[in-house]
Amino acid sequence: MPAVTPTLELIIFVAGVLAGGLGTLLGLAGGIFLVPFFSLALNFSFPVAAAVSLTTVIATSSSVSAARSGKQLINLRLGMLLEMATAGGSLLGGITAQLVAPAVLHRLFGVVAAFIAITMMSRLNVRNVLDPSAETGVLGGRYLEEESGGMVAYRVKRLPLAMVASFLAGNVSSLLGIGGGVIKVPVLNAWCGVPLRAAAATSAFMIGVTATAGAVIYYGRGQLIPSLAAAAVLGVQLGSWCALKCRSRVRVKWLKVLMAVVLAVVAILMFARPR
Amino acid sequence: MMASRLERTIGLVLRIGVVASSICLGAGLGLSWLGVRDASGPLFQIGVIILLATPVARVFVSIVEYVNQRDWPFVAVTGIVLLELMASVVEALLFNRKL
Repeated sequence: MPAVTPTLELIIFVAGVLAGGLGTLLGLAGGIFLVPFFSLALNFSFPVAAAVSLTTVIATSSSVSAARSGKQLINLRLGMLLEMATAGGSLLGGITAQLVAPAVLHRLFGVVAAFIAITMMSRLNVRNVLDPSAETGVLGGRYLEEESGGMVAYRVKRLPLAMVASFLAGNVSSLLGIGGGVIKVPVLNAWCGVPLRAAAATSAFMIGVTATAGAVIYYGRGQLIPSLAAAAVLGVQLGSWCALKCRSRVRVKWLKVLMAVVLAVVAILMFARPR
Repeated sequence: MMASRLERTIGLVLRIGVVASSICLGAGLGLSWLGVRDASGPLFQIGVIILLATPVARVFVSIVEYVNQRDWPFVAVTGIVLLELMASVVEALLFNRKL
């Protein structure tokens, strides 16, 4: 366990601001940057790093979804259906994390970070929208598309595939302390008929419940250190608030390239971390 | 429309949770930086518990709303999600006792 000092809290707060800001600009939860920082720079044990990161994932999910509520971008029914799979995966992941050797978790994190770096560069965006009057089925949705200014509708396809991807995302989420949107969003968009913005909003909505199932398990074992969680959560909240304010002035394209490079380096460092 | 009422209720629950936990965590952090570390501990604990309880509360209000709508398949779906969350709480409590 790290010794908690005000200085350490301050360092984590600043890290949270950066992770939250970058995460918001790139459409990621900040966990993918926080976990390697805690693990590599501050030398926290993996469960402690993952637990603090999960609390920031919950906070991000709650505040982003609160801000989006009422816009019908979040597909509540689809979200709740897939949450059965993410929460189950997360529950299992939280328990498995206690049994797996840290070296395995570091390598798995390295693989996931590399995967995110690749998907970030080749970001899919299948439009998937139907005529607003089209029949959407029980799980489909309708929302006001900002780009075109009109209502659009979509239909959910291949639900079993979405469930499997969600289970996997939940599992990875509590094992590694990240949100898991990086697995769900591309699958929902590319194969399940959901437009990117709706997929991202629905995923962000789900990761709160997903991360909670994992975080509670870490909390029960004393691996979730509340003071460090406080510093990280408040930092991430401040960072994402700032990012929302200056979003239009940042060239996201170059930021993506830069972050893909950073993640590739993180992937190598995590993979090579000795213990 | 019923669905958007649920969306608004959920938005409200999430907002209350975020604000309440941020106030506790922020007060704790402020006290810690001022050197009053004894008082900050309980605030951190309460803040984290509110943070963890917020998604659970959101699932709970969804169940209530689906019961009101008599949408039984979704009562079952959200009920299962709540059970999974409760399972993680039970697991955490059981493990705590063993120590």
